[in-house]
Amino acid sequence: MKKLSRRNFLETTAAGIAAAAVPVETGAQPTPTNQGTAPTGSRTTLELMVNSRRHRLDVEDRCTLAELLRDHLHLTGTKIGCDRGECGACTVLLDGLPIYACSYLGVWADGRSVETVEGLASPRGLHPLQESFIEHDAPQCGFCTSGQLMSAKALLTVNPQPSAQQVREALTGNLCRCSNYNQYVAAVVATGRRARLGPGEDIA
Amino acid sequence: MSVLGQPTPRIDAASRVTGSARYTGDVRLPGMLFARVLRSPHPHARITAIRPERALALDGVKAVITHQNCRVVWSSGDSRNTRYLFNNPVRFVGDAVAAVAAIDPHVAEEALQLIEVSYQTLPFLLDPEKALQPGAIAIHPGGNLSPNEAGVRQPEVYRRGSIDDGLRESELVYEGRFTSAHVNNAQMEPRVSVASWDGDELTVYASTQGISNCQRDLAKDLHLPLERVRVVCEYMGGGFGNKNQCHDFDLMAAVLAQQAGVPVRLELTRKEDYVAVHGRWATHQYYKIGVSRDGTLQAIQLRGYSDMGAYRKSSGSIAGIELYRCPHVETTVHPVHTNTAVAANYRAPAYPQGVFGLDSMMDQIAHELKIDPLEFRLKNATRAYHDELPYTSYGLEDCIRRGADVFEWRKRWRRAASDTGVVKRGVGMAMGSFAARVGRSSAVIRLDASGRYAVHVGVTDAGGGAKTTMAIIAAEALGVPLDRVTIVSGDTDRCPYSIGESGSRTTNFTGYAVVEAARDLKQQIETRGLPAGSAVLIGSATPEPVIKGVARYSFAAHFVEVEVDVEVGGLRVLKYVAAHDSGRIVNPLTARSQVKGGVTMGLGMALHEQLLYDPRTGRPLNAGYYGARVMTHLDAPDVEVLFVETQDAHGPYGAKPIGEPPIIPSVAAVANAFFNATGRRIRDLPISRERILEVLA
Repeated sequence: MKKLSRRNFLETTAAGIAAAAVPVETGAQPTPTNQGTAPTGSRTTLELMVNSRRHRLDVEDRCTLAELLRDHLHLTGTKIGCDRGECGACTVLLDGLPIYACSYLGVWADGRSVETVEGLASPRGLHPLQESFIEHDAPQCGFCTSGQLMSAKALLTVNPQPSAQQVREALTGNLCRCSNYNQYVAAVVATGRRARLGPGEDIA
Repeated sequence: MSVLGQPTPRIDAASRVTGSARYTGDVRLPGMLFARVLRSPHPHARITAIRPERALALDGVKAVITHQNCRVVWSSGDSRNTRYLFNNPVRFVGDAVAAVAAIDPHVAEEALQLIEVSYQTLPFLLDPEKALQPGAIAIHPGGNLSPNEAGVRQPEVYRRGSIDDGLRESELVYEGRFTSAHVNNAQMEPRVSVASWDGDELTVYASTQGISNCQRDLAKDLHLPLERVRVVCEYMGGGFGNKNQCHDFDLMAAVLAQQAGVPVRLELTRKEDYVAVHGRWATHQYYKIGVSRDGTLQAIQLRGYSDMGAYRKSSGSIAGIELYRCPHVETTVHPVHTNTAVAANYRAPAYPQGVFGLDSMMDQIAHELKIDPLEFRLKNATRAYHDELPYTSYGLEDCIRRGADVFEWRKRWRRAASDTGVVKRGVGMAMGSFAARVGRSSAVIRLDASGRYAVHVGVTDAGGGAKTTMAIIAAEALGVPLDRVTIVSGDTDRCPYSIGESGSRTTNFTGYAVVEAARDLKQQIETRGLPAGSAVLIGSATPEPVIKGVARYSFAAHFVEVEVDVEVGGLRVLKYVAAHDSGRIVNPLTARSQVKGGVTMGLGMALHEQLLYDPRTGRPLNAGYYGARVMTHLDAPDVEVLFVETQDAHGPYGAKPIGEPPIIPSVAAVANAFFNATGRRIRDLPISRERILEVLA
């Protein structure tokens, strides 16, 4: 696996955003107006899947995906910690890949599929990552937790049994100021190990 | 089986991993407006004119407040000067100039740009020592040395013995100057407040470490009776000292909501969080330390300058001296104003920077005297507080000895600069202590016929696990399983007074109140029997324990091994052992997390973090996570945690503080390890790549 520092992780993320921006750049500039009864910035109607449910909504073009999720769909499990692509609290999966939802416009998600923390648990119970996070006391204040979970889920999809170092690399774009990094790493490693051994067989 | 002392997952953990936990920023009220704050671009300036008309004319803007139409005093924003919500002159880049409420955050942001402000710029000061020089412009009337509690402009002085005699009679005297930088608490949850009026009753959904003190401050500053103010904080995304009491944005949200007649949410940006709230005070420390040739301390003198920024919110102390036994001590600390971001409480506010300077000096002295730093600490470590008051329980020596054993200090420690290659290894250690106070707090326990014990406590759980800790203490005190206990917290309408989550006091203050309330309830059960039908029993307590003639402290000793790459200036932590005496550990699972987190934050302060200012413009250059380079997954070492559980007669079941102590020794420990690896000492924080290369050049 390619070694990632936080800095080149951010650069990679930014490059991804720039590339994704191309199709909608023209004609999508927000145009603040002082006329009418309410500001009417440029708006777009879009359709997207969120946690396997289809949504059709009309949003201002300047609305980020994080705002779309939180303010329009009331999925407030996705947190905004910095709103500038530095902390990772807003990490969601876009077509299975982790992105910073604060640095991604809602309109870019048109026709795409988004998974948030609210989509992790099933009627059968919590996701194994969620169970493991609780058991290892990974969340302290919990504000970065949704993002850590989504990055961890993306990692386990491509690398079901990651080593501790691989977890650190994959999650390094997710800051935790309570700084319980050891426990987040342990929780993800244990989830992978358990998946291999089967439930109840974890010996560590 | 007793639950106290067993590793216990948090009772509210499921809500934190499913996204269902409602933090303040998740609160949405009908008709709610969104507010933003306009801030000064100048470090020091008089506002000569301010015109909000164009902003008010923008569609969607509902209210604008400035120093002209809002003269609310923010009393907890400055303990010495009168600080308004909006001040004129403005005294630092980021000082609030106006606040706007609008129908969405984007409109509010647009409106900020339409407020016309004319400034007359004034000379500004960025350095605390220069701020005390004759002729320096006064940031507040009367001068830049902030007065003491008596209102006198004198430095804070502590003395025992005679420093002059002590230094004169010492066989050897060492001197050193150390500086520490302004670093930010940088909790993940941004600063946010939602204010809502119902007639003359105010509800504030705050992200606060203390609902009770936040309520008290809001009532005071808005001239409301206490019972007309309700503060709610269901979940809290960290604070580390900068979310205690009420803040200016809580008051701004309340004023805007009153003017607009609808609820208002005011959320700060991350950059505002870094420059406009507060971080840890930077310090300049000058030490003179006298010692005999056998390594016995004779005299410690500290002259210190603490950069409090533009307003005085906290003590500005430089702590650590109490870690050492020494007959002659004098500390003189100057809390000074500069035109920089305000500095106040951040996890063990006075400690990691003070211990960095002091324990670097001690490490240097041990080196000069060719004494193992471990032996030097064992010889000189405190045995009585300020060599006077006995400790209620004392685990410092055990922390040092057992921590050293686990770390394998005797195997790993070598004379400084033993490695000759490009990559050099070294080890360092440092000590810490932190006041384990006791005091007034309340708890109410309500038992109904179903056998459910509802524990009402005014804690907010900033991340330390207070809800779980209270539940464990209640279960233990009541002698019932943990799942019979529910915690009602975070709402002044439903909870009695609790000390704020500051000073690592919640477990000791409110936890003790829970023990006493349980005792009350059990007595009632004994006399009246268990409640049946619709009957309830309510136990309550507001204990006010006092400790006299003794000192109560938590202790710690940290050990770290680093690897320094002298070619690229890299420093990597290889091994870290943190030994802590926090008395009885209520929940080893969450206590361990507190230690790991505190150590790692300390490493960020030691190695990366510093709010930099442009000396020409007085503007902060690197506000935000990226610029501050806070610790990441890839930076964080594995931290081995060791609890030395002493028996203490006070506090709930002998528990002593654990939240703040872990950050105290970590900065000095890693600085000392750098010295041991390289033979060079870095005296200015952070120990950045640039400084490493500079000192090794």
